[in-house]
Amino acid sequence: MNRIGFKTLLVKETRRFLKVPGQTIAQPVITTALYFLVFGFALGGMVREVDGVSYVRFIVPGLVMLSLIQNAFLNTASSMFIAKMQGTIVDLLVAPLSPGELLGAFTLAAVVRGVLVAGIVWLVAALFTGFGVAHPGWVIAFALLVAAEFAFFGLIVAIWSDKFEQLNLIPTFVITPLTFLGGVFYSARMLPEPWSAITRLNPILYMVEGLRYGMLGRSDVSPWLGLGLTLALSAVSGAVVWVMLARGYKLRA
Amino acid sequence: MPTPAVETDALVKKYPKVEALGGVSLSIEPGEIFALLGPNGAGKTTWISIVCGLTTATAGTARVYGHDVVGDAMAARRIVGLVPQEINFDPFFTPREVLRFQMGYFGVPPSEARIDELLAAMALSGKADVTSRELSGGMRRRLLIAKALVHRPRVAFLDEPTAGVDIALRKDLWAYVRRLRAEGTTIVLTTHYLEEAEELADRVAVIDRGKLIAVDKPDVLLKKHGNKRAYFRLAEPLAVPLPDKLRALGATLDDARTTVSCPIEGDASDVLAAVAALPDRVLDMRTEQPSLEQVFLALTHSGSP
Repeated sequence: MNRIGFKTLLVKETRRFLKVPGQTIAQPVITTALYFLVFGFALGGMVREVDGVSYVRFIVPGLVMLSLIQNAFLNTASSMFIAKMQGTIVDLLVAPLSPGELLGAFTLAAVVRGVLVAGIVWLVAALFTGFGVAHPGWVIAFALLVAAEFAFFGLIVAIWSDKFEQLNLIPTFVITPLTFLGGVFYSARMLPEPWSAITRLNPILYMVEGLRYGMLGRSDVSPWLGLGLTLALSAVSGAVVWVMLARGYKLRA
Repeated sequence: MPTPAVETDALVKKYPKVEALGGVSLSIEPGEIFALLGPNGAGKTTWISIVCGLTTATAGTARVYGHDVVGDAMAARRIVGLVPQEINFDPFFTPREVLRFQMGYFGVPPSEARIDELLAAMALSGKADVTSRELSGGMRRRLLIAKALVHRPRVAFLDEPTAGVDIALRKDLWAYVRRLRAEGTTIVLTTHYLEEAEELADRVAVIDRGKLIAVDKPDVLLKKHGNKRAYFRLAEPLAVPLPDKLRALGATLDDARTTVSCPIEGDASDVLAAVAALPDRVLDMRTEQPSLEQVFLALTHSGSP
């Protein structure tokens, strides 16, 4: 195993997003904080409580998950795509880095960014709603697994994309709608049928609800179901990226 | 017999509409400076890309110091360095950072002394800590060379390393390449500057349309395919047809009929005697040594290498 190579790539990928903190950390934190203020406080008066939890507290796990998903995805997607477009991917392809080492380093850096931004979002929200966490183990498990899952997904999209337009296709038409319709701002139980049933087909709902269980101790669905689903999705997408890297799909001519 | 530094056996690369390599077998000895020449699209970069693991061969094998580039890819890549033809740079990082990362990717612990040595050799010391975005085209090309060499590869592939580099720095780079060879590094280079190949290479391979046309030492190729020529400038335009004796020696007359050029093969006495017999006075004469450019053109019947 090329330990030095793996560590170097992890450090490089982490430093890459730390070089532009305004874009990679401050901007998503401010955007999410605005959601919190608008939905939690300005509109929060319309929905006072959900299952005995104040609405402001209810949306915090959703907003944390939103920033976790977006930042983990963006880190791998933009880094891999830019490397492809600028040709610097050659530096990695000629180096003795195995598919597993490439996958691990890219993913871990994305997890660091996702958890960092989501952690800051939670800290900002916690100033208003309190720092209590019902089940820290569940919070850590969901945060790490979901960040890894979307880091894998970012790599798949970036390797597959030949143009910026394609790169933006998935976040615009898949991730953002599924995230906003995944119970970030509402409980699935609040919806009438058939919307409640349709919402339950959305895998992101189980991730949001899993984190909500960890933070608030209540959830619309079993956290075990969410954990199982996230594990399965992570395993499948991780395997897909590994195969892409091992075969050099769209990377090695 | 020592293990070849690079060995390819019947290497084939087929794309849907074109065959880029049609079975190229080459063996490059340790410590050689080996130049690959060929017109644009001849297959030089494809051959290098397969050996460096950037492209997968359709058929055939490639080995670096005995390590198969597919079956034993990690071991092969550890000892290879590549200067790609296309300039690339990472706008987020400085040359120093880029070199530190590149060393790490190859499993080599960071060494500031080694990085400083390469920055100095590539005349980049003054730009070590600015972002790569601020480097000129020539500087970016030199940074690519530094990146390819920073982990001390046993075989360095330089795909047009001096394109866009000014003549003074090009000569410095040639000196550095010779130094690397003296230290035991095998160098494989492609170049558009034939004088570069002539100046540096121990052996030259000419590739055309995916096929290997010739492999030999430059002086052997020159002897086989190049001609020494003599040029004689006459005082007046030649009023009579070029004598048969000169024609038989391969001589030609220019459009102004004032310059006779003739290939010299071995003994020049016959040519000199035939020119002396011309009715006009000869004002001046010069000879032209055979060049790799002539050889290249003779072998490929084409334009640029």
